[in-house]
Amino acid sequence: MTLVPITYKGGVYRHDEVVDLIDDLGGYVIQKHQLAQEIVLQSLVPKEDIDFLRAVARPLAGEVIEAPLVGTEIAVISPSLEIHHLPHASCDVAEYLRRVGAKTNVIGLARGFGKRIANLNLEERDVINEHDCAVYLLGNFEECIREKLPSLRRGVTVPIVVAGAPSADRLKEIIEPPVEGYVGGLGRVAHRMRKEEELEPLDRVVDEVSSVLSAYREEIAKDPLSISPARLMVVIDEKMHITAESTHPTPITVQIAGLRVKVDYEIYADELRALEIEEGVTVGDVADVLPSRMRNYIWLKIRPFSETNVMV
Amino acid sequence: MKAFEYFEVECEDAVGAESYRRIAGDILGDLDLIKVIGRLHIYIDPKVPLFLAVGLTRKLPRRVRLREFANVLEKGDGVVIDISDETHLSRLLHILWERFGRDQVEQPDRWTIQIRGGGADPSEIEELIVFDPTESLAKDIIYAFQYIAPEGFKVRRQLVKEGRFYYVASENTLDVDEVDRLLAENFAKIGVNE
Repeated sequence: MTLVPITYKGGVYRHDEVVDLIDDLGGYVIQKHQLAQEIVLQSLVPKEDIDFLRAVARPLAGEVIEAPLVGTEIAVISPSLEIHHLPHASCDVAEYLRRVGAKTNVIGLARGFGKRIANLNLEERDVINEHDCAVYLLGNFEECIREKLPSLRRGVTVPIVVAGAPSADRLKEIIEPPVEGYVGGLGRVAHRMRKEEELEPLDRVVDEVSSVLSAYREEIAKDPLSISPARLMVVIDEKMHITAESTHPTPITVQIAGLRVKVDYEIYADELRALEIEEGVTVGDVADVLPSRMRNYIWLKIRPFSETNVMV
Repeated sequence: MKAFEYFEVECEDAVGAESYRRIAGDILGDLDLIKVIGRLHIYIDPKVPLFLAVGLTRKLPRRVRLREFANVLEKGDGVVIDISDETHLSRLLHILWERFGRDQVEQPDRWTIQIRGGGADPSEIEELIVFDPTESLAKDIIYAFQYIAPEGFKVRRQLVKEGRFYYVASENTLDVDEVDRLLAENFAKIGVNE
């Protein structure tokens, strides 16, 4: 069964029927937003049932849109949190990625600005490495990108997409060793990007991130995970009631090969490890339960089948 | 709003120059400085790296005196100020509080201020300068260029004086002679020759 990431948008009225239906079809609701009278469900649904879901949603005036990045957590990296880089373009990019279902975290580096002086500290490196993909938003000059990127990517092991004002071809030439994705025409700006020609680079960010992540997914498919992250999320949430007792917008964040559970590691890690998924298989058997560098959260890294010999 | 008489961004990197042209335009527009700056030349050398801006300020709007927006009348042992335009009211109140003390200055309604007690001379109050646009100009221009220049360029040299300004920034030590030479060269481009 192939699960396809979708976004359902519709009214509050009878939306619980849609939630139940997704559940019955064997899909997962990863995130549920309620904005006044509107409901947005980020979900994974079996491919063959999408038309059926559309048919059910039609009388409810609901809309089913394909959202390629549902179930991913992406780091949008800004050289700093100063007025020079925020809110444009960092927030524009983060917001755009969110519209296609990604959970984005803007990471403002402490000393990522400048050319010679740019650097990345260990905490930043570790936080970035807990994501599925890192989008670096760099500046307008080739010279600076060439010189500063090596220090900003030192130790980063997740796929990298670099955005900058020079064209994608120029970026490819100046970045050594190559990164996974390039987006040209998107450097430092001081205004909100709302015109069509300004939105086009944002679309390219989405395309580039999607293709980088599908390559990552294919890589994982060669040695499949012991449990699907979405399923693990549902199991943990049912047993530990995390969503019900949390005020976070995404109390359990789904990643391609893991989860970020937003509860205190010191207190809940052991309980989480011992949690039974089914037939005696515990969370600790299929995943590494690690302390996250982001606050005091728990980061679960799901182990592949080849390591555990278990598939649940 | 009148646009710049002259505005150029000079840089070897054409893409970077165009981006910085847009950034400078946006920021000066946001900070309402376009009508203040007449000519502006920005020179960027990403290799050094160096950010240099030279420019001329326009003739500023003149100073605003109290008599331009209010009538001052003598009443009993005090003075009554009858205001017709509220634009500078809050600034005026601060000036009066400072001068006569809070307990002597009263504002019974939106359009009236009373100053109690002696010591207030109506003809002198009429001439009070309520708003002077040159006061904050230097600060505003420097702030705008800190915002326009790439972040991290913390080694700076700047000046706003007699209708001219410059802002030079880098992340490396600035060579005084070299900067002087570049300043003279770039000032010449906007028509200022020493």
